[in-house]
Amino acid sequence: MADAYPQVKTTQDFAQQSPEYRNSIEKLVVSHAINELQGARVFDEPAVALAPHPYAKWLTCRVAMEEYGHHCKFFDLGRQIGIDEDRMLPEKTAKKPLSMFDFPLTTWEEFVAIKAFGDLAEILQVEDLLHCSFLPLRNLARSTMPEEKFHHDFGMQFGRELLKDPESKARFQAAVNRVFPVVPAFFGASRSKNNAIFREFGIKLRTNEDMRADYVARASAAAADLGLTLPELPAEMLH
Amino acid sequence: MGQPMRDALAQAWFSTLGEPLGKAELADIAGYLRGLGLEAGAQPLLASGWADAARLLRSAAGEWWEREEAERRRLEAVAHLDPADPDWVRLNDLLHGAAAVAAGRGGNDDPGMIRVAAGAASYAAYHHELALVAGCDGDHPFIRKYSLYAGGRWLLGVYDGRLAIF
Repeated sequence: MADAYPQVKTTQDFAQQSPEYRNSIEKLVVSHAINELQGARVFDEPAVALAPHPYAKWLTCRVAMEEYGHHCKFFDLGRQIGIDEDRMLPEKTAKKPLSMFDFPLTTWEEFVAIKAFGDLAEILQVEDLLHCSFLPLRNLARSTMPEEKFHHDFGMQFGRELLKDPESKARFQAAVNRVFPVVPAFFGASRSKNNAIFREFGIKLRTNEDMRADYVARASAAAADLGLTLPELPAEMLH
Repeated sequence: MGQPMRDALAQAWFSTLGEPLGKAELADIAGYLRGLGLEAGAQPLLASGWADAARLLRSAAGEWWEREEAERRRLEAVAHLDPADPDWVRLNDLLHGAAAVAAGRGGNDDPGMIRVAAGAASYAAYHHELALVAGCDGDHPFIRKYSLYAGGRWLLGVYDGRLAIF
C-alpha cells in the first residue's frame, strides 16, 4: 500500500504543494462553491413559496440560508488559496452547475424528495472529504456536515407528514419517482481520472462508482423507512 | 461588517417571548396590520409557550403571508439584496444562536423550532433591509415588523383574524 499523502495543514502550506495537488483541491472547492449556491437559488429559496404552512416556510428559509452559508465557506476558502472569484460563481464561469439542478421544481412534494434523496447524496460527498489531506477543506467539510444531515432529516420529517394522507403520499411517491433518477449522476463518471488523482493525493477516499453504489443502497433504505419505493434505474446510470 | 450586521448585533432577538405586550408593541402590531391592508382591531393573541407557537405555525399560511409576499415582490422590483452576502450569513448564524438560547431558556422540546425561529427572524431582517433600501418610511409594515423582532418578539402570523405573537 502506498504511503498516505502528508497532511497539508494551512493555506500557506497549500501554496507549497505541487501544481497537480493544488489543481485538484481547486476543482473541488470551485465545484462545491458553485453547486451550493445554485442549489440554494433553484431549490431552497423557491421552495419557501411552496411550503404549506409558516413552520415549513420558515424552516425552509433557514435551510436556504444554511446552503448560502456553505457557498460562502467554500468561496472564502477558495479566495484564501488564490482561486479567482469569478470561477466560483455560476453566473460568471463557463463551468456548469451539476445537472440535477436542472430539475424543474414545481411542488412541495418534489422539494421534500430533493431534501430526502438529493441531500443524502450531498452527505456522501461531504463524508468523503472528512479525512481529506488538506485540513482547511477537511475542517470545512466537518463544519457543514451537521447541517447537511439536518437537510436530509428535513426531507424525511416532512416526507413522513406527507405519508399521513393517501393523496399527498401518492404525490410524494410520484415526486420521488421523478427526483431519484437525476441524483446518481451527482457522483460523476465511473473510472474517473480526476477521482483517481483525488484518491492518490488523499483528498478523497472512494471511487465515484463505490459512492454511487453506496448512495443507492442508502437511498433504498431511506425509501423503505418511508414505506416508498424507488424507480428502477437504467444499468448505464449505475456503472 | 455591513450595516445590517451592525444593527443586528445590538438587538434583543427572542428575549421577550411570552411577556405581556407593551403599548409601543401594540402600536407596531396595529401599524403592521394596517400597512398590509388587514383588519387591526382584534386583540393580539399571545402564544403561551414554544409548543403553543409550534401548533399555530402548523396552520395553513393565510392572507397575511400572501400580502407580505406581494409586498416583498413589489420592493424587490426596485431594490436588490444578495442573500449570499457573507454579512447575511453571519446574521443568520447570530439569529440561530439567539433562538437556541431562547429555546433552551423556554423549555422548547422541538429542535426544529429553533431553526423555524431563526428562519422567521431572518426573513424579517431581509424584509426590513429591503424596505430600507427601497426608501420606505418607518410606518412601512416590514419596518414595524422588524421593530417587534428587534425588541425580542416573534410575530407568528395572523390566524382566524387575530395576529399571534410570542
